[in-house]
Amino acid sequence: MKIYITGLGVISAIGTNVEENYQSLQEEKTGIEKIKFLSFDSVVLAGEVKLSNDALIEKMSLKNGFYSRTSLLGIVAAKESWGKNSLNQSIRTGIISATSVGGMDKSEKYYRQVLQKETTDISFILTHDSGNTTEKIAKELGINGYINTLSTACSSSANAIMLAARLIEQNKLDRVLVGGADALTQFTIKGFHSLMIYDNEWCRPFDENRKGLNVGEGAAFLVLENEKSIEKTGNKPYCIISGWHNAADAFHQTASSPDGKGATLAMQDAMKKAKINPNEISYINAHGTGTKNNDLSESVAIKNIFKQNIPPFSSTKSFTGHTLAAAGAIEAVFSILAMNNNILFPNLNFSQSISETELLPQTKLQQVENVKNVLSNSFGFGGNNTSLIFSKI
Amino acid sequence: MYFIQAASTISHQPTFKNKSFSENISTLNTASELLSPDYKKYITPVMLRRMSKILRMSVACSVDCLEQTDIKSPDAIVVGTGLGCLDDTEKFLNNIISIKEGLIPPTSFIQSTHNTIAGQISLILQNHNYNMTHTQNTLSFEHALQDAFLCLDEGGENVLVGAADEHIEILDDIAEEIGYKNMQLTSGASFFIVSTKNNKNSKICVLNAASYGLFNSFSESLEDFFSASIPLLGKSKIDLGTIDLILFSTLQEKTKNEIADLFKGKSIVDYEKYSGTYFTNSAFALHLAIDILESGKNNFNGMTIDMKRILICNNLNSQNMGLILVEKVEA
Repeated sequence: MKIYITGLGVISAIGTNVEENYQSLQEEKTGIEKIKFLSFDSVVLAGEVKLSNDALIEKMSLKNGFYSRTSLLGIVAAKESWGKNSLNQSIRTGIISATSVGGMDKSEKYYRQVLQKETTDISFILTHDSGNTTEKIAKELGINGYINTLSTACSSSANAIMLAARLIEQNKLDRVLVGGADALTQFTIKGFHSLMIYDNEWCRPFDENRKGLNVGEGAAFLVLENEKSIEKTGNKPYCIISGWHNAADAFHQTASSPDGKGATLAMQDAMKKAKINPNEISYINAHGTGTKNNDLSESVAIKNIFKQNIPPFSSTKSFTGHTLAAAGAIEAVFSILAMNNNILFPNLNFSQSISETELLPQTKLQQVENVKNVLSNSFGFGGNNTSLIFSKI
Repeated sequence: MYFIQAASTISHQPTFKNKSFSENISTLNTASELLSPDYKKYITPVMLRRMSKILRMSVACSVDCLEQTDIKSPDAIVVGTGLGCLDDTEKFLNNIISIKEGLIPPTSFIQSTHNTIAGQISLILQNHNYNMTHTQNTLSFEHALQDAFLCLDEGGENVLVGAADEHIEILDDIAEEIGYKNMQLTSGASFFIVSTKNNKNSKICVLNAASYGLFNSFSESLEDFFSASIPLLGKSKIDLGTIDLILFSTLQEKTKNEIADLFKGKSIVDYEKYSGTYFTNSAFALHLAIDILESGKNNFNGMTIDMKRILICNNLNSQNMGLILVEKVEA
């Protein structure tokens, strides 16, 4: 059974829709800058979406209501991806989103009021739970029934895409709007600082002198459909999702294993699912956060699988920052753009290979003959590793 | 159908390692507390020191489940949680707001992510299989359960699936501010091993589970649920009359009346009066249903009939409906 991808939508630090994101990727223009909209007590580089909450509400012509920034970003990307689709009783449709912070951007304001014994604004806490962000998006589009949210830290939306594919494969649903969203928060920026893996300069994925990540924000959504559904919708597929796998590293709550066990399992079994060999992978959109630990572990895992024949790979987090739960979906959209345009996106800010593994990422934008199968990696806290494979039809 | 090989719950009731607990429980009173087991029996002291309530409850229930079977490592670990690791989330929020200078300790940040629960279980079991966390407020458990069934349909034999939520004090203030009255907010964790095989241990199976987000009407959801359950049962029709007990939770008079109308003459019990209120208390209801079915004739809520089939209706959030159908396996 083929599972088609027929809709794409994305908002990130490098653009508010697919076209703008693609333009920035081609121009090798990063969106990581000093933050402007999130109030923060020091200067910090992050991948912030260049629109205020008010601007997002206006852009989407939303009525009054309680929206966390996470759901605002989600609504933008979901609407772009959903496009002209309509609901139809004969197409069983669900929505799955992913988030790690949910409405934390508002909750942290509420909690500050509580701690400082100020009058609290209860509307700030009503959007806290992760499920709320998905319900807000579902309501905007009128979707009901299967409405679900996954939260597995930085692999969340890759897992959402995987769950959507499984639900279609098992004939539980015909069509799924799936993605993820996360807003910048003090909680996460200070969190990665507390772990001492926040780079105060531009992040340098896969570079020997990498110091850590820059957090980003954004959202991306995709429409997945089965054959029956596209016959009715008439949607033209971009590609299929051919492989997926989630594996637990079971090594440490945050750190990745030195032998890349979980990552290796995820990539290997995703290829098994897609029934393709390592030499058929045209491009890897790596997790590549820019932390010492992830990039080394991921490099080891890539070498475990691909041995001497490493396909071109890059981390587009050097453009968007690490968008946490949204990363898997944003990078899925980028992977599909790479495939449909036969283009390889560069890994910015790279100058020297990691001494232990000596891998060389793609550093220039490059047009190639055929990007046939793209492997996209997303790894998260709790040793949660997921690989997805997108293939040309 | 999916067989229950093991079940374990830590709650405000004497549920933990206490078969037939349903015979001896009564509705919660406001002074009730979480009944915690001796966690040292299940978790090493080093790990225990760092663990919040939700992690302790979840890991102890998971280990207990595995000990009830001869399964060392399940084919998947699937967890549902409505609000996740609140205690660590609050601790870290507190730290980032109050520590103005100097280093902020990272432990509570690390442990604040929702998937810390499933991640810790994989660490302790050294399990490299599928590891997932669902968080759809009051439907988180039903979603986890459906995912566990997908894993079984894909060829897995045994899946560890459960749900947990923890109470922290600020929730009481928030509930009051929102206007919820007479609600007893509690903590709880329930874990299960579900399996495709009916080994000697399992007397109970879950026929089907479903979640209806932003649902239209109860009767419509129920109709859809039963028609989806029919092929799983190999029957042409499910007779509402064959359901012996309806366990429900709702704050809506409308839903209460609808249930009473649809299931006239049946036993209908509000499980929330036993579990207290937390986002994933339908997992408590599943364990309660399993225990009632296993006990045969029992005294739960003064009932003395031999129960065969129980329906759990979760309408804790007025917009959402979760349904789980549980049945005693014919000998």
